[in-house]
Amino acid sequence: MKIHNLTKEEVFRTLVTSENGLTEIEAQRRLHEFGFNEIKEVKKKSLLIRFLGQFTHFLAILLWLAAFMSFLSEYIHPGEGMLTLGLAIITVIFINAIFTFIQEYRAEKALEALKKLLPFNVKVIRDNREKEVSAREVVPGDIVLISEGDRIPADTRLIETSGLKVNNAPLTGESEPVLRSLDPFEGEFIESTNIAFAGTTVVSGSGRAVTFATGMRTEFGRIAHLTNAVETGLSPLQKEIIKATRLIAAIAAAIGIFFFLLGFVIERSFWNNFIFAIGVIVALVPEGMLPTVTLALAMGSQRMAKKKALIKTLTSVETLGSVTVICTDKTGTLTQNKMEVKEVWTLDNSEPEIKLLMQTAYLCNNAKFIDSQYKGDPTETAILKYAREAIGDVTAERISEIPFDPERKRMTTVHRIHDTGCTMHPPLSPLDKGGIKGGYHESCIMNHASLFAFTKGALESVLPLCSYVLIKEKKLPVDENMKEEITNAYHLLMDKGLRVLSFAYKEMKDTPPPIPPPRGGRVREGVSPDIESKMVFVGLIGLEDPPRPEVPEAIRKCNEAGIRIIMITGDASRTAVAIAKEIGLVKGNPIIIEGSEFNQLNDKELREKLSEEEIIFARMTPKHKMRVVSILKEEGEVVAVTGDGVNDAPALKKADIGIAMGITGTDVAKEASDIILLDDNFASIVNAVEEGRMVYENIKKFITYIFASNIPEAVPYLAYILLKIPLPLTIIQILAVDLGTDMLPALALGAEKPTPGVMRLPPRSFKERLLNLSLISRAYLFLGPIEAVACMFGFFWVLYGGGWIWGTMLPSNNILYMQATTACLTGIVVAQIANVFACRSFRESVFSIGFFSNRLIFVGIAFEIALQIFIVYHPWGNAIFATHPITAQMWLVLIPFAVILFFAEETRKLIVRRKIA
Amino acid sequence: MYKKILTAINEHLNSEVTARYAMRLAKTIGAKFYTCFIAEKGMSTMSIGRAEEAMKRIFIDAEKMEIESESITETGDPARKIHEIVNHEGIDVVFASTRKEDVERRFYAGTTARRLSINLPCSVALVRVVHGGRIHPKDILVPLKARITNVEERAYFTAKIAHAFESNVLLFHAPEPISRFFHGEIHLTPLEWEKKLPKDISSFMEHLQRYRVIHTGKSVPGKIGKTIAIEAFSKRHDLIIMGASERSLFSRFLRGNPVEEVLRDTPCDLIILRPRHSNNSNKL
Repeated sequence: MKIHNLTKEEVFRTLVTSENGLTEIEAQRRLHEFGFNEIKEVKKKSLLIRFLGQFTHFLAILLWLAAFMSFLSEYIHPGEGMLTLGLAIITVIFINAIFTFIQEYRAEKALEALKKLLPFNVKVIRDNREKEVSAREVVPGDIVLISEGDRIPADTRLIETSGLKVNNAPLTGESEPVLRSLDPFEGEFIESTNIAFAGTTVVSGSGRAVTFATGMRTEFGRIAHLTNAVETGLSPLQKEIIKATRLIAAIAAAIGIFFFLLGFVIERSFWNNFIFAIGVIVALVPEGMLPTVTLALAMGSQRMAKKKALIKTLTSVETLGSVTVICTDKTGTLTQNKMEVKEVWTLDNSEPEIKLLMQTAYLCNNAKFIDSQYKGDPTETAILKYAREAIGDVTAERISEIPFDPERKRMTTVHRIHDTGCTMHPPLSPLDKGGIKGGYHESCIMNHASLFAFTKGALESVLPLCSYVLIKEKKLPVDENMKEEITNAYHLLMDKGLRVLSFAYKEMKDTPPPIPPPRGGRVREGVSPDIESKMVFVGLIGLEDPPRPEVPEAIRKCNEAGIRIIMITGDASRTAVAIAKEIGLVKGNPIIIEGSEFNQLNDKELREKLSEEEIIFARMTPKHKMRVVSILKEEGEVVAVTGDGVNDAPALKKADIGIAMGITGTDVAKEASDIILLDDNFASIVNAVEEGRMVYENIKKFITYIFASNIPEAVPYLAYILLKIPLPLTIIQILAVDLGTDMLPALALGAEKPTPGVMRLPPRSFKERLLNLSLISRAYLFLGPIEAVACMFGFFWVLYGGGWIWGTMLPSNNILYMQATTACLTGIVVAQIANVFACRSFRESVFSIGFFSNRLIFVGIAFEIALQIFIVYHPWGNAIFATHPITAQMWLVLIPFAVILFFAEETRKLIVRRKIA
Repeated sequence: MYKKILTAINEHLNSEVTARYAMRLAKTIGAKFYTCFIAEKGMSTMSIGRAEEAMKRIFIDAEKMEIESESITETGDPARKIHEIVNHEGIDVVFASTRKEDVERRFYAGTTARRLSINLPCSVALVRVVHGGRIHPKDILVPLKARITNVEERAYFTAKIAHAFESNVLLFHAPEPISRFFHGEIHLTPLEWEKKLPKDISSFMEHLQRYRVIHTGKSVPGKIGKTIAIEAFSKRHDLIIMGASERSLFSRFLRGNPVEEVLRDTPCDLIILRPRHSNNSNKL
């Protein structure tokens, strides 16, 4: 039993209050106990803490350690350049931290948008007097006075109403105002007609209500809490990067420690071993990886924006690529939301009956034709437009209305007709038509009486109200055969994918007095209890919301890409299935779950249903989405969900990818989402998924590129410790590659076009690693060693050219030594130029994908060469990186290695392609 | 197990709502129902009047429900007086409502509810009332940890409350997410989590089955307090029943206190049970 089940007196007793309201003292006491009526933010880590967190993750700690050791070395052995190194490492930590923080930071404006929806001042009764108080001071037990235009301050139980209509859109997504009543309601709490919920608006009328829940305990607070507290968790890419960095860091640390200890065994000095250990760690840790990933994602988000998908969270770019399920709305996303009347049906399809159907459709309608424009709900405007074009304007005075509500699935209007239908449609004599003797001539009804009730709605709701049908302009009692014929026609239209509405009318004697609604039912304002009974069935109208033309192709792509699409719609199941079949969403007989059945299913049952290949949710409201998303996520799916209403916000937050509609979406939905679709089009989601897959593929490409250079960075240290030669590459020079020359070419790889067939592969398995064996072996065992040969060749070429004898150790400021290390560094840079081409694809020849197809590659290479020239030939570059100019001939000596690398990789790709073929 | 139930009433609305929970439980198990009001020193006449009115209302309701009941009014320190009543009457369980100060200051000792919870020799059910609209809880959320003490009494209490309101029970376990150094967090499906269900929870379920209570189970890994609150918010549970925190002050300082987190954020009424009846007490 809940508050909506109780009578007014029981409500007062339960909440210990009365018609006179609380006393001011009691209100203060309750305020102290229950707290302010306000939306509170769920405690979260502060921005500062989140920022500081970027300095304490595993990779950062490792780098801090390296920086500390560098400073210690500088203290013990000043003048060895270790201070510069320490500072450089700290710079790396900061760059990584700032980039990653920006990546993770996301403005949490959803809650602010929700807060704005609550009112500031409300009228309450306290001490038996009307009083205006701040909305945040409303307490359980307070009697609140509400009138047109007010926002409801808290969840309240109505105790007095006068034509009170409330717009529940923020909670239920239903745009039609709902009439409120006083009486106990037997249905679901959220659907109760005697409750006015916080955050909703009074459209018309007035009333009094007792507050029973305030602040975060209201239904509105519930949405706020879920929107704020639900965390999506780390994106697949973030998880992969954590795994990758931990693996690399562990390898780097292990190798560093191993050779540090080995150095002692082969009797190297502590100092040499120490430099070596730091060198290996710095060489193997890919310092440039995180900033490059961030920039690649940013570039991806810009490309997606051009495809009408505005990315709010950078990691969503890649997450989209790993999506396995898309839960999508139908209307406006899969379809155009352009309703159009496609078929009209009456029992004998005669002209007078169709005209009567048009009159009913015209009058039982809330759309308006103003200033040559139709205004209102798309379905209503489509019907009005069709009727108006068929019969012209009809003048009638609307006496009252029972608004449409989803539970009744119908609406009724009562009209006094001033202009007669017969003026426009001359009556036909029953005799002319050979009608049944004594039958009533229905096409001329408006001449005989002036008061009519018109009803429209779902057939299952309207047909039971009808006692008569119109056949050959005669009002005949309805029998089972006729009902069957009508139902068959209804199903036939729905099977064509049409949204079908049925129409009925009734002639009335006079305006009856208002009557109270039945228990558990809805208010019937200003109409008699039998107004919706003994009606005359007129006909059916089928409306089409045509699918967007791009959708079938987008769905085909999804099917090929192994992505399941689950339609969640408010439409009837037959209409949903017909549309789904038309757009290729389902092929066989899908599992269909309607809202009422959905509520009955427990999690286990729903889980089983969701494991079916084809499933459609019909007659659903947005509140059901979060449950579907949660279960799919629990099953390990990567879920994208679309939404536009306030109550979609928790589901949008919960999903791996929340997609808000840019045109029809509310601010709250947009703020809670990861992506905003600028054109509300499903096809844009699929384009974005393709882009996401491409981004992941490209991240793998530039990681291969970055990792390949780790080998020529590490080999000089191994040579140094094992071969007793001068150190061929200083640590600062390693950083020049990792954070300098490599950066732009790597980014250019992030802009590569997708490999053909990227959308024909299944979604990436969560077991698939970013750093898999194939990537590591290609980088470390194939590309890297060729580069290592190039850089070591350059080093020894200079040394031997300068007369160096094996075993001679050179001081760090020796020009020959500096030139040799510069040649070593240049060797890496030259080889990396060839490597960037090699990494543009995994299997395809660079010539087949188009040598010049990615112009950014050439920009990146130009930058790389320019930076290297600065490092080698500019005095500042020499000072910072301990380099010395080398001859142009030296560059020419190194170029063959680049050519070898390029063609070796082309040969490898050829072999792989042949193997696959 | 519970032959005598005492509920403490004061001038606040939440104590009256708490008394209604106790009253329904007493009716279900046929226990004698005691209400008590302890007027503190310096209490205003108006407050005393309000508390007495509440006592009267509850007493009338109890009579209507044909529950054997007794009202006690005393003056003095509430915690001390209730302790005396418990000893004198042989009370099995005391229902007391928490106050806002309990939510704000529980970490630091000193509130009446905390003193009752710690010092009374019988079981104590602290009730946090936050929602006036859910009068008879239809769906009860029961968060359980891996190791449960006094399983029998907890299951009994839960079952009888469920019987009292004809409620469905969801047993909820929020284990720590499983993670490995090189793999990060390991994703397990609900079925896989179910297989890892701790023994005590299975035992709790067996007890509920014995009491023929309709119940389902769910495991959702995550931060305990937050996960429980999200579950309660998202599924619109009407009541949460959970055990009192058994973490030491030091442990709470280091690891936090999920009970306090739920107490602060609960969207529905919450009962925190501190059981005192040991297992196999043969009182069932």
